[in-house]
Amino acid sequence: MLDVAIVGYAQSPSWRNAELTEPQFLFPVISEAIERAGIERRDIGFTCAGSCDYLSGQTFAFVSNLEAVGAWPPISESHVEMDGAWALYEAWVRLQHGDIDLALAFGSGKSSPGRLDEVFSLQLDPYTLTPLGADPVSLAALQARAMLDKGTITERDMAEIAARSRQSAADNPHAQIRSSPDADALLQEPYLTAPLRRHDLPPVSDGACAVVLATADRARATCERPAWIRGIDHRVEPHQPGMRDLTESISTRQAAKHAGVDDAPVDVAELCATFTHQERLLREAMGLDDTVRVNPSGGPLAANPVMAVGLARIAEAARAISEGGAGRAVAHATSGQCLQQNLVCVLEGA
Amino acid sequence: MECVLLRPVPEPPRTTHTIEFPYTRTLGPVIGPFLTGLRDQRILGARTPNGGVLVPPLEWDPATGEAIEPDLVEVGPGGTVETWAWVTQPSRKHPLDHPFAFALIRLDGASTGLLHAVDAGSMDQMRTGMRVTARWKDERIGHMTDVVFVPEAAA
Amino acid sequence: MSAADTAPAEDGPVTMMDYFMQLEYHELLCPVVRRYASQLLEGRLVGHKCPSCGLVYVPPRGYCPICVVETTDADEIVLADKGTVTNYTVVTPVQYYGQEETEPFVRASILLDGEGGMMNLQDIVDVPVDDVHVGMRVEAVWKPPGERNVDEISNRSWGSAEGCIDGWRPTGDPDVPAEQLRDKAF
Repeated sequence: MLDVAIVGYAQSPSWRNAELTEPQFLFPVISEAIERAGIERRDIGFTCAGSCDYLSGQTFAFVSNLEAVGAWPPISESHVEMDGAWALYEAWVRLQHGDIDLALAFGSGKSSPGRLDEVFSLQLDPYTLTPLGADPVSLAALQARAMLDKGTITERDMAEIAARSRQSAADNPHAQIRSSPDADALLQEPYLTAPLRRHDLPPVSDGACAVVLATADRARATCERPAWIRGIDHRVEPHQPGMRDLTESISTRQAAKHAGVDDAPVDVAELCATFTHQERLLREAMGLDDTVRVNPSGGPLAANPVMAVGLARIAEAARAISEGGAGRAVAHATSGQCLQQNLVCVLEGA
Repeated sequence: MECVLLRPVPEPPRTTHTIEFPYTRTLGPVIGPFLTGLRDQRILGARTPNGGVLVPPLEWDPATGEAIEPDLVEVGPGGTVETWAWVTQPSRKHPLDHPFAFALIRLDGASTGLLHAVDAGSMDQMRTGMRVTARWKDERIGHMTDVVFVPEAAA
Repeated sequence: MSAADTAPAEDGPVTMMDYFMQLEYHELLCPVVRRYASQLLEGRLVGHKCPSCGLVYVPPRGYCPICVVETTDADEIVLADKGTVTNYTVVTPVQYYGQEETEPFVRASILLDGEGGMMNLQDIVDVPVDDVHVGMRVEAVWKPPGERNVDEISNRSWGSAEGCIDGWRPTGDPDVPAEQLRDKAF
């Protein structure tokens, strides 16, 4: 494998209801990532985007997003109808060919125009699940109940994860929720979809993230402290929620093993725990103990720009290394309901 | 579409648009009989080579990815709740218009949990491990919503 | 209740399933399109002229995707409401779900006079469909001020002036030679 590093990254703020269009708020994010990487836009050999046209309900919205890239004269580019973390994966694979030395990955989403529960019901089995209106929150609640019944988490644990995540976001300019009542107060709130309360859910967010990748020589030349990708892997589990153990994340465990998470101690982990209970599940699947700082950015519970939130975990992990002095960081992204598909990326400063 | 442009409103104007796709799907050799079964008040599962029974039936084994010969067996109509979520505010896409539980239901004779709705009246009627049974609609067309589940005690 | 009590009318195998997918979206109008819409109500077409390459975007997008530079109110220009058909298609509507048109209609690209700017997917009126051609000179047919609305203007209107301009009608001026319009198709 060729050594590849993250040499630039940028995020938009996370808005509850963005006034700008998706290409309009992507525009400065991509420019900033390129500028921070210290490269010229025309030197990028491959560009890959992650987004979802159903979010805004506009066909070929992903093509409009390319207007923020600078795609004329025509560039080499690709798109995944997935979180931008999978766009980064494709860009990393593309760099492995060795014929180009710079790639751009970005993810963006405008969740506010539609209803996420109805949009994401459409990604489920169209014969047996979508006709029931099965939605991400209800399915996550089934998972949380299974963990509560098994005794691997309590409602208080979940409230504490929410409070800690939101409070961690206090200094994160990209976050949407930057403070929280304590767990005692949160537990006084009524159930939304029991056993989940409002604080167990992420906010509805619009936003974008962009990351620049470079091969070894280029990374050393352009970046003082690149975040080297030492392992990256993604795995998927059966689709039907009743045909897998919801209280474990086997696909995360496999991806973490193949990415080499347990080869050395981890300083920081940025986990795409979109619901509180999933943080516990992911920590266990990756074998992260209490010495690991989990989601110092606040994570998805503080800002959840769908289709960018997983890539933002990778950007935050890279930032922890390039700017925060961390030696080794793990980033996680997820796709599908109840952590059906998981990507794990290990980053190191040296 | 509507737009409140230029009216003195405190926030920027917004546009509304609706997208609609009237899908018609073919069902194939496994889902077809499964939905036919629902119309006929029977719930079918698929027997896997290792002796399990998948409900809903699939054309492949999720554990191995291997194709499954359609060998459909009847399960239920009773079953046990494996896990559940209480929906306090049903959406227009949900099968019931009043609060209900989504549950994974291990039907008698099945080895997997079926996602479906339990019309239990109130959350305090729900618990993991409870027995539920099928309640059929009078008008059935071969669709997941031909049936909902109710606590066995109430049936 | 037994199966016999409630047997449905049809008893053959179920082989098909309908699913009616419907999603609703409510989106804020972005500032540059709000400005475009308010100017339409005043009877003016406005666009942004890229300070780098000079291309004119109507409606304004807030950036030039070619040069990758942001554009602002300072780059706004008032555009002509006369122009030339540079490309067109005749759509013969198939009566699929949601199709409201029944007769063949034109969708044309119009290059505006003077500073330029392309209006895409425009209706050509007051002329038989078969007479529309590349190079035809046209002018906007504005609704009277009291009847204008911008209900159909969204962030992705692609140059729509619906609600304010009913379409474009021939001026009767001599055609522009088609060879002058070859790189102005869209």
